[in-house]
Amino acid sequence: MTLCPCGSTRAFDECCGPIIAGAPASTAEALMRSRYTAFANRTLDHVERTHAPEVRDDFNRAEAERLAEECEWKSLEIRRATETGDTAEIEFVVQFRREQHTITQAATSCFRRDNGQWLYISNTLNPQITQHVTKVGRNDPCPCNSGKKAKKCCGTTTELK
Amino acid sequence: MARVKHFQCTECGMCCYGQLPLTCKDAFANASRFPLCFVWTPLRQGSKDYPLVATLGTTIKLTGRKELAVLITPTAYIPSSFPCPALGDDNLCSIHSNKPSRCKTMPFYPYREERYQAELLTPRQSWACDTSTAAPLVFQDNAIVFRNDFDNERQELLEQVPILRRYADYMLKYSASLVNNLIHASSKVKAGHVITSLSSFLTASKNADAKHIAQLQLPLLKDYMAKTAGDVKLAEFHRNYLNWSKEMAYLSQAQS
Repeated sequence: MTLCPCGSTRAFDECCGPIIAGAPASTAEALMRSRYTAFANRTLDHVERTHAPEVRDDFNRAEAERLAEECEWKSLEIRRATETGDTAEIEFVVQFRREQHTITQAATSCFRRDNGQWLYISNTLNPQITQHVTKVGRNDPCPCNSGKKAKKCCGTTTELK
Repeated sequence: MARVKHFQCTECGMCCYGQLPLTCKDAFANASRFPLCFVWTPLRQGSKDYPLVATLGTTIKLTGRKELAVLITPTAYIPSSFPCPALGDDNLCSIHSNKPSRCKTMPFYPYREERYQAELLTPRQSWACDTSTAAPLVFQDNAIVFRNDFDNERQELLEQVPILRRYADYMLKYSASLVNNLIHASSKVKAGHVITSLSSFLTASKNADAKHIAQLQLPLLKDYMAKTAGDVKLAEFHRNYLNWSKEMAYLSQAQS
């Protein structure tokens, strides 16, 4: 059995495989996963086909083909999937390797259901998700929750994990 | 002092090197000759060229009521140490009668206001232009004397504004890093540039001839890839030729 590249721990043939082959995705998340897998497997017909009609002509297939080939697709992590009727928003993190660099990219994609088919509409990169506070300023509240300023309490050299 | 300038081309060929900005019309007419890309040159408010660049290119709103004007030029993407592929063995232009309007207008440059053109008549260090009083009078009273080529190129630039604006809108919508790259380029002392691919323009403009254009570009890109291989100074050129050749390879085989 081939594990599905989307990270579901299910077999490809029981996960993204049938959707890439043309079966409708039951949820927006399933479509999101299958589009990632299509990049990893370089079967971009599926990606182009599942763009909403108003953005399909804007899809730079030649560039996408190059990126699919250049990148080693490491993982997809779905952080949050919200379906509201026929629209959905999915927050996710992809990790890939390109030109000897590992890149972690967080983003939110929007989807819509037309006649029972989930379609991709747009993508917003939100790098604030990947920012982590690693240092406490002298005047910041102390991380020990004492309510005092850090400089009056545990000090400011504390590095947060 | 009357601003009187003399100029005569001595056919030294030295201005026929490196990147060449083209009109859209010239770019596609020469798709079998030049490896093509799009060069974005941002300009900060306050520059004397700002109003014209905002007219010929586009403007981008930034935070805090600031904005950038950006010139977007289809460009023959050639390293500055490389001659124009149309420069013949005799050091003369092999397509002289039919050359791009950018070449016809030299040394004038219609991307800048006419009254500033005098500054462009000072030859660069290696150029052998004749600017002595023996050369013809070409600029007088803030106006160009022989102005046909200048006017024609300016007219082409004005006519292509709508298609370039649509392209700018497309790129700003889909390229998350473009605005930051433009801001970064505009903060440099010497004008910085951002380069975008021909494939993005063909997609944005829904060019029906994309496959044919890609077939013309592919052998050129491969040729320039080979010519720039192994040279550290040309690594960025080499990488771009490589990337674009992959895209053109896809487009040249795509079913239409």
